[in-house]
Amino acid sequence: MAEARQVPEVAAPAVAQGNAAYAWPTHPTYMGTDVQRIDGPDKVTGRAKYSYDIQRPNMLYGRIVRSPHPRARVVAIDLTMARQAPGVKAALAVVEPNAILMFQGEEVAAVAAATEEQARDAARLVKVQYEVLPPLTSVEQAMSPDAPKVFPDGNVREGAAEETGDLAAGFKAAAHVVEQTYNTQVQTHVSLETHGCVCEWDGDKLTAWVSTQAVHGTREGFAQALKIPQANVRVITQYMGGGFGSKFAPDAQGIICANLAKQAGAPVHLMLDRKEEHLATGNRPSAYAKIRAGVSADGMLTAFDAQTWGTGGAGVGAGFPLPYIYQFPNRRRQHKDVYINAGGARAMRAPGHPQGCFITEVLMDELADLVKLDPVDFRMKNLPPDAPDARWRAYFPIAAKLFGWDKRHPTGDATPGPIKHGFGCSANRWGGGGRGSHAHCEILPDGGVIMRCGTQDIGTGTRTLVSIVTAETLGLPIDAVNTEIGDSLYPFSGGSGGSTTAASVTPAIRVTAVKALDALKAKVAPKLGVPPADLVASDGRLHARNDRAKGMTWKEACRTLGAEPIAVDGEWQPGLSASGTSGVQMAEVEVDTETGVSKVTRLVCVQDCGLIVDKLTAESQVIGGVLFGVNYALFEDRILDRNTGQMVNPNMEWYLIGGPSDVPEITAHLVDQPERGVIGLGEPPAVATAAAIANAIANATGVRLRSLPMTPDKVLAALEQQRAGGTR
Amino acid sequence: MKAFSYVDAANEKDALASLGTERNQVLAIGGGMDLLGMMKDYLVQPVRLVNVKRLDATIARTPDGGLRIGSAVRLIDLIEHADARRMYPALVELAEQVGTPQIRNAGTVGGNLNQRPRCWYFRNEEFHCLKKGGATCFSVNGENQFHAIFGEGPCHIVHPSNLAVACLAYGATFRLAGPSGAREVEAEQYFQMPDHNLYAENVLQPNELLTHVTLPAPMAGLKSAAYEVRFKQAHDWPLAFATAALVMEGQTVKSARIVMGAVAPVPWRANEAERALAGKTLSEETAGRAALAAVQGAQPMSRNAYKVRVARTAVTRAILKAGGMKVV
Ligand SMILES: Cc1cc2nc3c(=O)[nH]c(=O)nc-3n(C[C@H](O)[C@H](O)[C@H](O)COP(=O)(O)OP(=O)(O)OC[C@H]3O[C@@H](n4cnc5c(N)ncnc54)[C@H](O)[C@@H]3O)c2cc1C
Ligand code: SF4
Repeated sequence: MAEARQVPEVAAPAVAQGNAAYAWPTHPTYMGTDVQRIDGPDKVTGRAKYSYDIQRPNMLYGRIVRSPHPRARVVAIDLTMARQAPGVKAALAVVEPNAILMFQGEEVAAVAAATEEQARDAARLVKVQYEVLPPLTSVEQAMSPDAPKVFPDGNVREGAAEETGDLAAGFKAAAHVVEQTYNTQVQTHVSLETHGCVCEWDGDKLTAWVSTQAVHGTREGFAQALKIPQANVRVITQYMGGGFGSKFAPDAQGIICANLAKQAGAPVHLMLDRKEEHLATGNRPSAYAKIRAGVSADGMLTAFDAQTWGTGGAGVGAGFPLPYIYQFPNRRRQHKDVYINAGGARAMRAPGHPQGCFITEVLMDELADLVKLDPVDFRMKNLPPDAPDARWRAYFPIAAKLFGWDKRHPTGDATPGPIKHGFGCSANRWGGGGRGSHAHCEILPDGGVIMRCGTQDIGTGTRTLVSIVTAETLGLPIDAVNTEIGDSLYPFSGGSGGSTTAASVTPAIRVTAVKALDALKAKVAPKLGVPPADLVASDGRLHARNDRAKGMTWKEACRTLGAEPIAVDGEWQPGLSASGTSGVQMAEVEVDTETGVSKVTRLVCVQDCGLIVDKLTAESQVIGGVLFGVNYALFEDRILDRNTGQMVNPNMEWYLIGGPSDVPEITAHLVDQPERGVIGLGEPPAVATAAAIANAIANATGVRLRSLPMTPDKVLAALEQQRAGGTR
Repeated sequence: MKAFSYVDAANEKDALASLGTERNQVLAIGGGMDLLGMMKDYLVQPVRLVNVKRLDATIARTPDGGLRIGSAVRLIDLIEHADARRMYPALVELAEQVGTPQIRNAGTVGGNLNQRPRCWYFRNEEFHCLKKGGATCFSVNGENQFHAIFGEGPCHIVHPSNLAVACLAYGATFRLAGPSGAREVEAEQYFQMPDHNLYAENVLQPNELLTHVTLPAPMAGLKSAAYEVRFKQAHDWPLAFATAALVMEGQTVKSARIVMGAVAPVPWRANEAERALAGKTLSEETAGRAALAAVQGAQPMSRNAYKVRVARTAVTRAILKAGGMKVV
């Protein structure tokens, strides 16, 4: 069965090795400054057209019939009534009779009709006969010995044990041992724009406007599934409302949409609704860890022994890194993937890391309390050595200063009254880094500049970054650059996953722009009587390096081209990007101990990402990441009915996402590392937030929550247990 | 969505003439904030909608010095009404907390009082539960963290209306208009427990409309307030809340009406708490004791015991707030 789809990790050095020919400018005009998104006005005025907004002549609307049952056998599918419903132009079965459906929301059939409402109504007329089979509804049930064997290779897949050092010796050296179980919930992506596309055929050629994180990857996906040449597929993604790791392929709905369009002989718009999103388009797996860990009297970690498990739903793994960041010299871990009858996991913003971070960082605070050390001091003792991609030793003090960590009280706010305040901290790491993007640049005789790259802007600001780097390189204003992205007809660029887009795309743009400029210099140099190598482009002029007067305006320079524009291709080269980021977060919370309600009031994030291309969009990533983390900490939870396995909150009413009044004051402190080259930032800031909040709640209340989300019932139960004389 | 016809009723008489006797076949629509969701989720499929926004949309003084609120008054109008805020602060504060600005701008008083439950089994089509004519209440052995802590079932919803709770606290009466004239029903008699009425939440008949809410003149010495406990601060529902209407003489509580919300299938009047307060000097301690009395009879389900604590806190704080004392 499918593994979580994900962009593979990039094996890149932690520091750019240098690339003299294309080196980043040392005194940039735009790079590293606050540049507003070039498409901001289009987005806020609605001129920007998302896949959802695409309208084609004679377009139909598709709707998928999905299994209401977490596990069932399809006995029969009857499309007759649906075909006869008003407006219906196409109907198809997605699965054959006898197919076994493994999760609620699995695709069964589909229809296309003239209006969205007709399609919805018609979908309800598809008569599907199911033989309902008993599902696995929870991890506990799936792991119990008498659970029905639902998955062919077993409900549980046990991984190989990982072991380092001498565990027995480690525990012997421990003055204190913590033995606890931790867990995190299943979180769904909740992209603001749902999954889906508009598909239109012209003969045997398909054009698809897709909400995707991978324009080229999705082209390949369509070609493979539809058994047509890749050259016959064009994928367009001009604007995109978020994917967070769940949108790398056409998916079932994309292929269904293409098939409906073919059958109907008309374009089909098939975008999912919120319920379908929650059920069938991926999630972050849950994580559980039963841990025994030891610390020496002087606060050094000695041993770590963990059994871990989690579910990625129907047949998908649930791996996560553990222990996270801190150095346990002697450790062992045994992991199990548990399968249940629920929608499968997909990559989700820093896959695995928030889970591993939460579990480890909460444990770290428990250990720190036992040796009576301040959490920051305790962490500083147990961090790995400082390295370009491991800078926590520098960042904890910076964060502490920005945050006012010195005002932290010991665990348990002693202030009288029900409202308690607390501080918490945590650290994160991530890879990032680039590879493989291509670009094409044209300099036109009238002075126009086109930069093309088949990357996609998933909301992070990639379009703006392309313009910044091009303008910087050519010495032009940002709005002089025509940036064209989001189309598989443009040069190849990889999927936007793993925080790799900036580090893949910006070097390609830099290389291509330098090449284009070199070509222009070669044309202009003889006319100016200056060797090409001595020419520089700045402030809209091409001139001798040491004599600004000896030159011409950009327009004049381009006019020398006559009728033939400059057109060059370039691609990513090493030396302009690197891999590996580190960050530290500190949170302040306010907990009402008589209601169990926790509110995050303040959050400081110290984060690096190599060379900062646009400070404004970088800060946006940090703020967005922190909000992501706040929601993970307090609110989000995919809740399945324990008896039927059906999701009870597949909406945005009971699947809670914080609103403006739930947002803390966020300080985004970015550390610029121009010497490392571009790295990438989409995922790192989302990792540490929940752990910092958990530790802050414990600092406030004196009771420790080891389970996400930290809802009022859990806070009150922990306080109750403490009052009843329970341990910690 | 099933095709339906739409009657834009000019007044009460027209609206009544368009209703029918069969449940959920012809439905009144106010702001549509609840009803449209029900229809889009295929939970009700009416053949006709009757717009009731052109019924009385005014807030008027009654001869006895109270207020009479038309059912078509929008929540935002109520919130902005100075007399209402001065005379019935708990009602206005609770209106202010409803949903989001959009919901308050569109939602009406009539719609708020008659909105359907938010139980997630009720709202998801997959679950054919008791209230929908099925055989089981899924909440009993299922996910009941937001369900009722009072009541014997067989259905364990919490009543969703904020305003209903304040209406009970202030002793409001509702005017119900039907084909053969109008009747006045006390708010406390309006809402019904599921063992009396499983398929609807109140006494309103399909051919009737709620047209007015009448609030009696505030008694001398009346001090009132509401306190809501919300986890998420917007676009969400309270975990539990309470209103306290205290008739005070100096620092002494002469009489009290305490009503809790989001804890039972109807707004839940806490008679024991009222008795515990009567005659007492208002203090943190007496408020706390009354709150304890308020939740004495709670029968939490498997996952909602925490709501007992939350409700208790809401009662304590509503009482203190009403008395003008420090709440936290
Ligand atoms: C996300 C969200 C959060 C919310 N949070 C809250 C909250 O915290 N507290 C709260 O109280 N509410 C909350 N609401 C609900 C909201 O208050 C109500 O939906 C709104 O007030 C309903 O008013 P309406 O006019 O839009 O009702 P409609 O949707 O028009 O009608 C609701 C129901 O009442 C019936 N009805 C309408 N008018 C009359 C009448 N005059 N006589 C008889 N029956 C009538 C309709 O037939 C329908 O069944 C929330 C809603 C949402 C979507
Ligand atoms: S509480 Fe009521 S509405 Fe909810 S499942 Fe039970 S019977 Fe249905």
